Formats: sequence, structure tokens, C-alpha cells
Amino acid sequence: MNDKSVEQLMSVPDAPLDGERALSRIRERIEREQIRPHTVVGSAAARRQGPLVSMWLKGVAAAASVALVAVLLTASGVAETILTIFEPKQVVAVPITSADFTSAAGFGRYGTLTWSVPPKPYDVPDLATAKKDSGLTVLTPSQLPAGVSIATVRYGVMPRTTATFTFSADITRQTAASVGRTPPPMPANIDGSKLFITGGPAVVQFFADGTAPATGAGASPLGDLPKLIIAQGKGPTVQSDGVTVEQLQQYLLAQPGISPALAAQIKAIKDPSSTLPIPIPVDMASSKQITVQGVQGVFVGDSTGLGSAVIWSKDGMVFGVAGTLSEAEILAVANSLH
Amino acid sequence: MDAALPLRAAPAAPADPGLSPAFETLFRREYPRVAAIAQRIVRDADEAEDVAQDVFVSFYRKHPADAGYAAAWLHAAAAHTALNAIRSRERRGRRETAHAREFDRGVDPQGAALDAETRSEVRAALGRMDERAASLLALRYSGLSYDEIAAALGLRKSSIGTLLSRAEDAFRKEVTR
Repeated sequence: MNDKSVEQLMSVPDAPLDGERALSRIRERIEREQIRPHTVVGSAAARRQGPLVSMWLKGVAAAASVALVAVLLTASGVAETILTIFEPKQVVAVPITSADFTSAAGFGRYGTLTWSVPPKPYDVPDLATAKKDSGLTVLTPSQLPAGVSIATVRYGVMPRTTATFTFSADITRQTAASVGRTPPPMPANIDGSKLFITGGPAVVQFFADGTAPATGAGASPLGDLPKLIIAQGKGPTVQSDGVTVEQLQQYLLAQPGISPALAAQIKAIKDPSSTLPIPIPVDMASSKQITVQGVQGVFVGDSTGLGSAVIWSKDGMVFGVAGTLSEAEILAVANSLH
Repeated sequence: MDAALPLRAAPAAPADPGLSPAFETLFRREYPRVAAIAQRIVRDADEAEDVAQDVFVSFYRKHPADAGYAAAWLHAAAAHTALNAIRSRERRGRRETAHAREFDRGVDPQGAALDAETRSEVRAALGRMDERAASLLALRYSGLSYDEIAAALGLRKSSIGTLLSRAEDAFRKEVTR
């Protein structure tokens, strides 16, 4: 064996290929097994976005809502004029209970959120397009766990998104009244003040379970769910037109339903203007600090032990790697990004 | 209500299970390469054809035939599916090798036995290698360009040379193991 070159070893005899016979064979197989083709329903825009992206969009909306509230809750410092009051440089876990979550999650209860550029994620065909459309240096994994194949990778891009949030004492009162609560009075300088929020651009890489090749009619309906997701993007930044953010924090933390434990945790964040809080629902997941890519990150494991995620911030970018994989596998992928 | 009738009727009609012209064009264009990639790994024409069939069926089920990424997806899936095939046959490896040797001896005792040995060892070596490295070798030695390999494996074109060289080193080590 030693005396043969790699080229010789990798060569195979030229076998005549009968493409037409192969085509007939595949035709017979899809008829026999009643295999349906990939079908797209709806408009050209829906076709472009696809089910994966709409799933992602829902996730982004949910995550954005939580992140915005969390940012608001932790932002501090005084903003007398328009200035950046939040820009993430690091991440920290903030355990929240479902009661806290319910109280805090309804961003709309404190005012009006207006998207000037709404989040519109879309699928792109390849990495080069993802880089071009996002303008980001997209990191890719050099290591994938067993069962996850690079062959299944799909890319999504979310362009830069901006929104303005306007506080309203009236809305706050009305929503609280609708659930029989009386909120503390909103300070006059908060009522009507605005926050300018930007997020993205971001790129997401989805990997499916690559262990299940075509099998015929009984293919798993879960086959298309991502097994691994790698996301990176410019983290959310918040600017204020003049609200005193210390007052804002004080006001929001005094809302009914925010537990003293959560308020204490948030107040304990040392550098709140640059720390992105990652809300961890304590009854569904656990978290711990870990080192990833040489910086401090947050590892989150769900209570079933089936899924895990790691989130960190580096060089002005927030990264997340998540999947139905073990902690070791997720960390290996995260550390292999280059 | 009148307008609702055709709307109700449309979903009831089964999707056409036949191959679309776009899929047939894609198949004719890419089948030789998909089969060639698979054959570099499984080292058997019939088995490579089975792998190619699986790859195209999988694509047919999950992706539109006119997708811009179709070729890249098929190339990567060919390597992945072929590697899965040889790994899952690892358990039966010795029995198959023995059978192949007996069969080949009937044709050309000395040469065929050597070929069978090479085939078996190359398969085993690729099966033991890191998936990306093994895929790189299969794609490159099937004649794919650096651009095509980069697209299939999601790698930077500038890193292909280095990764290929590492993959060849790893392959040499595995075959001489």
C-alpha cells in the first residue's frame, strides 16, 4: 500500500454510467413509494422565505421581546440627550421564573413599539450570499458532531432592524387595569420618552440531522428540524432621547409581578450598559458561566437534557450555538468557529 | 361559495408524483458526478448507484429542483451518504471482503485479489477518517474544482489546499495503519 499515491488509491475503474437507466429507476421508485416532491405553497415571497425562516421569525420575535425587556431592565446610566445606553460586550444569565416572565414579557404594556425596519429574515442559497447580504465576517465551524452533516447546512440572513419604543403612562395604566393591577405611577419624564433600538444584521446557519438519508414513504416528519443552529449578529443596541435610565430601571423593577429576587439579580449586574442579560426560565432550563472562544459566555441546558445552547459576545458581535446536542458537542462546535 | 369550490378541490388532488422537467435536467447534469463521488468512497459501481439514488430521492423530497444550491448540496450529500453506507457496513466488512476476494479470484487471481484488498483498505481508511477530510478527498478526486468543493462543504476556497493536504496525510496514515 505504501508505494501507491493518494491519487492511485482514490482512483476507481471507469465504469460506464447509464444515466437514463438511473433516471428510470428513480422514476419507478418515487412512484412505487409514493414519494412526494418538495412543494411550495403561496407567493414568491413565501417561497423565498420558506417554512424554516417563518419558524425562525417566530423565534426571533419571541427572543427579541424578551431581550428588549431584559435590556431595559438592566440599562443604567444617565442619558440626557440621544446617546447609546446599551451596547453588549458581554453576556450574563439572569434566571427568571415563569411569573417574572409573564410580568416582563409584555413589552407592549409600557407603551408602543414601532418597527421602522421590521425584522425580515430570509433564506439565502449559500455562505457567500450570507456574507454579502449581511456584510458580516461569518464564522463557520471547523468541527461538527457526529450525525450533523455540513451537507444539510442552510443559511438565513436578517438585515439590520430598527424600532422605536415610546413609553406611555396611559397604556401602562390600561394594561395593568385589565388584569386588575395598579402600576406605580410612571414618572413624567418617562411618559412619552423614546428608546431607539437596533438589532442585526445577523446570519444563522441551520444544520439538519444528517444521519437519515432518503428512506421512502415513512421518512420522519422531524427530519427537517435543525439539529444545530449557529447564529451571529450585531447585538441589540439601545439609544435614548433623554429619559433618565436609572429612573427607568427603578420604575420597571417596581412593576407588579417582578420578584424581589429578579430585581436584586438585575441590580447586581456590574456593567449593565454593556452586559446583555440572557433570561433563563428557571423551571425549564439551567445555566452556568463558561469560557468560550476565550471570553465569558453563558451555557444553557434545558431541563430534559436533550438540548443546550451557548451564548457569548465578542468583538462587537453576539454569538449563539444551540441544538439537540450535549454540552461537550455544543462547546466543541462553538470553539471551532473561525 | 362558488369561488370556494375550486379552492377546496385543489388540495384534494394529489401532488404529481412524476419528475418535473427541472428535476430531470438536474439529474442528467449531476448524476455522473454524484455517482462518481459515491464510487470514490464505496468502491463499488452498484453500491455507488444505490447511494446516488438515495441522494437524489432525498433532494427531490426536500428541495426545489431549481434551487441555486442544488449541485453543492448533491455533491456534499453524495459523500456523506456514501460514508454512512460504508460505516454501517463495517460490521459486515470482513465477510464481504472475503466474498469479494473469492469472486475476483475467479477472474484474475493475482491482480483482482490485490484490487479487492486495496478497495477494502481504502474504504476502511475513509470510514475511519474525519467526515470532512474524507469528503474533501472524495470530492477532489472525483474532479470537482476548489470552487465546487468550497460550495459543497461550506469552506473558504483559500483553505481548501491546506485542508486537502491534511486530509491526504490523514488518509496515508489510515491506509498504512
